[in-house]
Amino acid sequence: MIEVSGLTKTYRVPVRPPGLAGAFRSLFSREVKEVHAVSGLDFRIEAGERVGFLGPNGAGKTTTLKMLSGLLYPTAGTLKVGGFVPQERHPSFLQQITLVMGQKQQLLWDLPASESFELNRAMYGVERSEFRRTLDELVAMLRAEALLERPVRNLSLGERMKCELIAALVHRPSVLFLDEPTIGLDVEMQVQVRQFIADHNRASGATVLLTSHYMQDIAALTPRLLIIDEGKLRYDGALEALSRQVAPERRVVIRSVVPELLALGFEVQGGGMVATVPAGETNGLIQRTLALAPLVELGVEMPPLEEVIGRVFREGRPGGKR
Amino acid sequence: MSRELGAFRLEVVGALVRVSLLSAMQYRASFFAEFMVGALSAFGVAVPLLLVYARVPVIEGWNFDGALLVTGFFLLYNAFVAGLVEPNLGAVVDGVRTGELDYLLVRPVDAQLLISLRKVAPAAVWELVAGVAVVVVALARLGVPDWGTMALAAGLFVAGLAATYGLWLLVICTSFWFVRVDNLRFLLTAITDAGRWPVSVYGRGLRLLLTTLIPVALVSSFPAMALLGTLEEGHVATALGAAAGMLVLSRWVLRRALRNYASASS
Amino acid sequence: MRALRADSASQIVHALRAWPSIQQVAFSGMVAYRAEMVIWVLSATLPLVMLSLWNSAAAAGPVGGYGQVDFARYFAVNLVVRQLTGSWIVWELNWNIRKGELSPRLLRPMHPLVYNLCETFAALPFRAGILVPLVGVLALWRPELLFVPSFSAAVGFGVALLLAFVLAWTIQAIFGMLAFWFDQSMGFWSAWFALWAMASGYFVPLDLFPEGWVDFFRLLPFYSTLGAPIDVLLGKASMLSVFTGQVAWVVATGALAAWMWKAGIRRYGAVGA
Repeated sequence: MIEVSGLTKTYRVPVRPPGLAGAFRSLFSREVKEVHAVSGLDFRIEAGERVGFLGPNGAGKTTTLKMLSGLLYPTAGTLKVGGFVPQERHPSFLQQITLVMGQKQQLLWDLPASESFELNRAMYGVERSEFRRTLDELVAMLRAEALLERPVRNLSLGERMKCELIAALVHRPSVLFLDEPTIGLDVEMQVQVRQFIADHNRASGATVLLTSHYMQDIAALTPRLLIIDEGKLRYDGALEALSRQVAPERRVVIRSVVPELLALGFEVQGGGMVATVPAGETNGLIQRTLALAPLVELGVEMPPLEEVIGRVFREGRPGGKR
Repeated sequence: MSRELGAFRLEVVGALVRVSLLSAMQYRASFFAEFMVGALSAFGVAVPLLLVYARVPVIEGWNFDGALLVTGFFLLYNAFVAGLVEPNLGAVVDGVRTGELDYLLVRPVDAQLLISLRKVAPAAVWELVAGVAVVVVALARLGVPDWGTMALAAGLFVAGLAATYGLWLLVICTSFWFVRVDNLRFLLTAITDAGRWPVSVYGRGLRLLLTTLIPVALVSSFPAMALLGTLEEGHVATALGAAAGMLVLSRWVLRRALRNYASASS
Repeated sequence: MRALRADSASQIVHALRAWPSIQQVAFSGMVAYRAEMVIWVLSATLPLVMLSLWNSAAAAGPVGGYGQVDFARYFAVNLVVRQLTGSWIVWELNWNIRKGELSPRLLRPMHPLVYNLCETFAALPFRAGILVPLVGVLALWRPELLFVPSFSAAVGFGVALLLAFVLAWTIQAIFGMLAFWFDQSMGFWSAWFALWAMASGYFVPLDLFPEGWVDFFRLLPFYSTLGAPIDVLLGKASMLSVFTGQVAWVVATGALAAWMWKAGIRRYGAVGA
């Protein structure tokens, strides 16, 4: 569905020295600095996949997404989405994709969201009966019945995001580019949006490429992970594989304090105990623990996602593909 | 080319006009407040004419009624700019800055159409009314010409609108390269103010400028000359040429600009 | 009342003390916006458009006492006066009041209006600087436009210009303060401006209006902000009557502005913006 190879985007930013004299000088000779927003990305995404795009601010996530949706011209490299070259902005290509930007809005500010849906219907040439069906479906999934007839400016951020999602999906796109769709939402709303994206993907089979700051988005939504930093791909693969690779240890957690277990390397933490061991030794530790304290309530945890990702950024390439 | 024309769907135009009208009607209070402003500005265009013609009967071959016609067409042009051109093309400048333009560009519809028809400023209707009234009064005093003449005048007026629209679009396109062009809009408004008088009151150089590069004379003087029967050879060709040239040039520049467009945030 | 007077006295002292810094800030602001400034000045071409019409009308002979050269001088001075009496306070106040950005300014020890007046005044050298090349071009192009005013006309022009500046600023401030009470107050300003353009001498020298109208228009505040200094310089009106009118309007609008500010601030505080 999406094929990217050697994708590069370099911005040329004029450097203007401060002050009047500097401004004057820059009238004649402009110093230009090159900013490498994205350099040499390679990846493939199959139809129906859900892929999370993760990286710190300024890593090149949004730039990549904009190139994939045809808004930016790549400086070098090739990319294809659904058989089209995005930057040609062929109407049939645009018909297939959708873009949701959590920090920007497409809804008409002063009008009820239903008017924006209707405008999009006309722009994408969706037939009325099909539009009705799609809309009913989306509204039901998002429980947004009460929101449609209120002017958008009167909606809360979360309510607005629900309507943004509906507006973005009325033409039944087969590729969804979601740029920080949960940004600024409260936890409850984040959960709802995540749930919706997952349900929609299951029902429609559309490909989803999502960027986010929130690790929970990635953990809950996207089995596959692309980590990008300073414009370069640092990791491409499953989330679990990443944890195994970067953070090969596990945390064995006990809900109560059993002094005998201190001997096995457990430490008291809060009302319980925790031991951290290499993944391969987890089973051995569990057996020994249960031998000493057969009644104890016991669980195995992976290290928190934030910590894993943080290690990728700190240590550079973890040795995934590329 | 056929793909482009396909993108100009009538249904989309209808939907765009509908939402722009709906949005504009959210602000009813200012709509009626603008009535005064519209009436006063029409008055402001007419008063100097009344004063000057009270003392001099004919200026550069134009009598009062002829000059009044020019004024009427100028008001109609102003209504077009204030009602449609300025709100839409002005929003492009903001769209470049806020990145709102991104959403326009991912639509399977011609970008120029979307950019040009998203907004209406209904208050401009008062200037429209004033312009129509002035033209009707002038025609009533001059005697109503035959249908062919009126059609010619209307055609020239539309050609003038097309040419000035092209000019506005060109200016707006510069915002893709220099993000702050709000002031260029200001300047353009000021310069096109020259269209309020018959073009012959200006010197030779200005006259040439106002019929070509800044074609505001096409929209006010030429239709009036058609109604008065004073069109000279080549005027119609000039008008059509300027309209076609401006439209093609501005469309080409817009496409270049969009290609060049690097979204506000990276 | 005495407290109020002491208050305004201290404000003036304060303003004078802060003057060099304000001047510097305003000037660097102008420099930062130099491209915009040039465009704004270039946008003030309407007097020249008006001139074209009157110039054509006077081709055969003087119109209402104005020959072609007189018209050209009139509209050239018109342009200069308009530049030197311009300010942006109506837009600034409107914006600051509606967006709640007046609050930080209220915390400063200096009255926001006084500060703005200083700022506007500080921008004058810059505006004048831009006019120099403009006037220079005009002088080269049509040298017959140049004239040396009499000493008294020049001094009178200076005084009338200063009064026009203060009056124009005060009136703008009044319309800006309407934002305390009305959401869409800029509409009032547009209406005022449309009236002003006709009755101030901006479009047409007031002498060219029919007999009775001239005297009436000269009594209105519009004339005091633009036509008055022009007429003083060109010797078309008696200085005494011009100054009287200007001073009267400065006092009247100043009182209104002061009252509006007090009432408006109370309202602003009540709304909790």
